[in-house]
Amino acid sequence: MRLRFAGHAALLLGGTCDLALCLADCMMESGLYPRLTFRNKRGLDRIHTHLGKHTDRYETVYLDLNESGSVDAAVSDMGNHVDYWVDFAHGHFESLVGAGNPEKMARYFAENVSARAQALRQAARMFLKNKFGRLVYVSSAAVERANPGQGFYAASKLASEALYRNLGLELARHDITTVSLRLGYVDAGRGKAYLDKVGNIRSETSSRKSLTTPLTTKEVAETILFYLSESATGFNATAVTLDKGRGAAK
Amino acid sequence: MDILHTIKSYLSEILDLDREIITEETYLIRDLGVESIDFLELAVALSGAFQIEVDDEEIFLLDLRLHLETAGVTTDKTALLAEKYPFLDADRIAEILKDLDQGPVLKVKDLVSYVTYQCHVQ
Repeated sequence: MRLRFAGHAALLLGGTCDLALCLADCMMESGLYPRLTFRNKRGLDRIHTHLGKHTDRYETVYLDLNESGSVDAAVSDMGNHVDYWVDFAHGHFESLVGAGNPEKMARYFAENVSARAQALRQAARMFLKNKFGRLVYVSSAAVERANPGQGFYAASKLASEALYRNLGLELARHDITTVSLRLGYVDAGRGKAYLDKVGNIRSETSSRKSLTTPLTTKEVAETILFYLSESATGFNATAVTLDKGRGAAK
Repeated sequence: MDILHTIKSYLSEILDLDREIITEETYLIRDLGVESIDFLELAVALSGAFQIEVDDEEIFLLDLRLHLETAGVTTDKTALLAEKYPFLDADRIAEILKDLDQGPVLKVKDLVSYVTYQCHVQ
């Protein structure tokens, strides 16, 4: 089945991560025009290193959720027209709940929940003006089953999911939908670092091998693309777990 | 651009109503049954049409009763509302204060006043 898309312009928040870069590749193959956000020169260089060969088929834009007006500026740069919004942006903070530094805790939630709420307010108004929008929030299976030390991360992801869920609920009649995708272990970024640290879970018993193989970036990118497509318009204001069933296992 | 005409057009489009039934004196909630999602859509539409920043709480008088309830008993309510809603004139504020017991007070003419005021301020 060939996926069909009703729009063209995509904004990838947190555009410098492996998943965003892979998604941008898939989008270009599908005829979409991704714009990837970066927060510093290192991120910008990373995007160009990975996608440089596709000059004119993608763009980059500075966006920092914590800067007031940053979303407006990025969206205005795109002529106030964004059809697809994929949110990978999320800070890392690992600490036992009882051991968290109070200042870091407050800053973490301000940066990852409050700032996202402000951004979504702006996004809602833009999508409402355009009467179309598909939004995918890249969440984590940690919201269902967190490891020790992931409490703040899981709480902020779950809070962000709630914001996306309500946005989809409130704007559904204008053909604006939201889906949160809860990713399990991915063989990229922080997931890869974790897997490298604890030993690849593929080394578990062979009978569970198919369940525990980490997701590849390509698998995740293609799934996101599906949720942005016209084949997935029935999905709205919901969260879907993408972990190869690992979370369902005993 | 005729502000009242534009507001009536958006309201009729959003609420799927005949534009002719909407006048300056129409109550948005009492008469038209406007809901919060309609307010959001209207705010976005007015912001785009008139190129103004629309503060939803202000234009739709969302906190009006809260302001009055939290004000002290000796507070001059007319002065308080004039400060909170500088786009409303004294006559309209007096009218609102008399009308509170009948239900939500927001009228189409309040939106016209807000847009007119913002167009001059910004």
